[in-house]
Amino acid sequence: MAVQETAAQLSMALKVQEYPTLKVPYETLNKRFRAAQKNIDRETSHVTMVVAELEKTLSSFPVVDSVVSLLDGVVEKLSALKRKAAESIQAEDESAKLCKRRIEHLKEHSSDQPAGVNVWKKKRMDRMMVEHLLRCGYYNTAVKLARQSGIEDLVNIEMFLTAKEVEESLERQETATCLAWCHDNKSRLRKMKVMSHTLRIRLNCHSTSYIKIFKLMLKHIFIVEMRTIMNHVSHRHARKHFSQAEGGQLDEVRQVMGMLAFPSDTHISPYKDLLDPARWKMLIQQFRYDNYRLHQLGNNSVFTITLQAGLSAIKTPQCYKEDSTSINPDCPVCSKSLNKLAQPLPMAHCANSRLVCKISGEVMNENNPPMMLPNGYVYGYNSLLSIRQDDKVICPRTKEVFNFSQAEKVYIM
Amino acid sequence: MVLNERMIDTCTHWVQDADLSVLSQTMAQCCKNIKETVQLLASRHKDIHGSVSKVGKAIDRNFDAEVSAVVAETVWDSPERQKYLSETIVEHLYRQGMLSVAEDLCQESGVVIDMSMKQPFLELNRILEALRMQDLRPALEWAVTNRQRLLDLNSTLEFKLHRLYFISLLNGGITNQLEALQYARHFQPFASQHQRDIQILMGSLVYLRHGIENSPYRSLLETNQWADICNSFTRDACALLGLSVESPLSVSFASGCMALPVLMNIKQVIEQRQCSGVWTHKDELPIEIDLGKKCWYHSVFACPILRQQTSESNPPMKLICGHVISRDALNKLTNAGKLKCPYCPMEQNPSDAKQIFF
Repeated sequence: MAVQETAAQLSMALKVQEYPTLKVPYETLNKRFRAAQKNIDRETSHVTMVVAELEKTLSSFPVVDSVVSLLDGVVEKLSALKRKAAESIQAEDESAKLCKRRIEHLKEHSSDQPAGVNVWKKKRMDRMMVEHLLRCGYYNTAVKLARQSGIEDLVNIEMFLTAKEVEESLERQETATCLAWCHDNKSRLRKMKVMSHTLRIRLNCHSTSYIKIFKLMLKHIFIVEMRTIMNHVSHRHARKHFSQAEGGQLDEVRQVMGMLAFPSDTHISPYKDLLDPARWKMLIQQFRYDNYRLHQLGNNSVFTITLQAGLSAIKTPQCYKEDSTSINPDCPVCSKSLNKLAQPLPMAHCANSRLVCKISGEVMNENNPPMMLPNGYVYGYNSLLSIRQDDKVICPRTKEVFNFSQAEKVYIM
Repeated sequence: MVLNERMIDTCTHWVQDADLSVLSQTMAQCCKNIKETVQLLASRHKDIHGSVSKVGKAIDRNFDAEVSAVVAETVWDSPERQKYLSETIVEHLYRQGMLSVAEDLCQESGVVIDMSMKQPFLELNRILEALRMQDLRPALEWAVTNRQRLLDLNSTLEFKLHRLYFISLLNGGITNQLEALQYARHFQPFASQHQRDIQILMGSLVYLRHGIENSPYRSLLETNQWADICNSFTRDACALLGLSVESPLSVSFASGCMALPVLMNIKQVIEQRQCSGVWTHKDELPIEIDLGKKCWYHSVFACPILRQQTSESNPPMKLICGHVISRDALNKLTNAGKLKCPYCPMEQNPSDAKQIFF
């Protein structure tokens, strides 16, 4: 392997790369814990209530029939509590086990056996690639790769598949799935404040019910009646969905309400913009951004960031020389696609010289001193020895022929 | 809770014909138990909250949530660059032998890979698969077809393959003796170069009856030779095809895993000391990253005077005494048409310095 990472270096890489690996299942665990607590509290209070009623009845001249019916009630509430608690706790348990499996996997980076470490490193790269592919939207590839590599548990596939469903429904210009997602995550979205409500409001703008009502009204009803009816409808819908609008968002709400007065194919902006199909694309972007933030993920995959850092660390000016004599087939940055990708990236920083012989790839130092041929090209002494024939050498890069004795030593400090 | 349910059920049945006051008391007791139990359930569950939030805090404390600050985030956002990235991943998948995943990616990303590019990897993987199953024939066929080019590379692959085949026959015991002897004819073209090895192989036949594992030749049966032959084959085949032995994506990624922590560290130091001006070089990383000697793919000359990498516009120059400095340094050190070497007493004309190429 060209790059040898020590155990300490692997640990350091964990710290900067594995936040998403653990945070996403943790957030699920947290969410399920809260849901379980809520369910348990709710059912517990139901039980306590019916039991209190029973106690009251018992303490004051109980009648057999009423006691029996109250007892039935208690049994029913207890069963409900048992069932719901069991379900919620099982879901929590699954989440906790998933967190544990991932942590166990991460610990394997410090295994004693080199073969084990190599397997872990390969899985690491596959994990990051799968998440990158999921972000790009290449779901089939990602799932297949995860399966073949045996890392299905270790990557956040569900999160991205859920997002995929929402995005696909938005592409079909349907808002129901996205609104359901907002509702499902409303407590966390609320913590993130601003964006969430904007998202909901924009969604509601696009609610097809508005458009349908419009078209109907305009076709069949006189203006006066239309206004009355629209007022009626819009007030109800508005009250229901826009009641939580705050401050600056009210402006958007007003804009949307204003839209009610215009036909659906209006040419007047900003109303035209509000109905533009491109808004759906913006919604998808907005959703994606909010989804990443919700799970505390950045906008770029860890894979992309790692690759950029890695290419920069290898990149030298020689990878981009006009003539192709400097290309080294082993250098990743010299390979076709990576060469184009690495072009806008910063180069490696080298404070000290390091020289390698173009012929053998051997390091040139006091054991293999660099020798300059009369044409200015430098090679290692050992390599010149190996290509020497009849006391002559042919420069591999210019094909000029020189005497071996013409090579001069150069001194690198 | 189950107990309570059962108790209540029993009570319900007794209500018909028992002393009501006794039952009332029993039921009141049940009610108390129920209330206590469910409250316990709720409070015990709530107690878990502490542990759960500790997990979250531990994650936040021990891992970095924001890593993107060390790179230019949007630099690969264009669809063109995304395509190059997908191409790279597809090539990598072909190298690893994950053919159907590669095909899926081509389909989903719209990347088209030339058959001529796929073909070498398909063949390499086919032969490697066979080698892993200890089947040497595809590899031998390939080695024979490419015999001349392998010899040009000073490769000993063909001999190694024959040798390993001979050894696998030896493993079969005395029954294979005749076959092994006949197979030994394949060693003839290698007689001059591998005389000693052939002598050892033939010598081992003596012990075939008694078992080679008990003979001085037992080292021939070592199992890691099979892993070694896979590596030898990969190395020679890639050299022949002009490919790198390791996937460029793997190397770049591994290099990134080493570079990221270093960059994060320096970024934090820069922010702490509030000297953000230091990381101005958008063309160069702010700090050197040591990837090890195996990653020295190109020569880099850092001028010892100006402490900067040389480039095409500022190339390395050899002075008459043999010392090398960058051209900018040479110009700086030239005084009134004369240049004194910074490392030795040698004086010269600046125009006598020669540009060198590493």
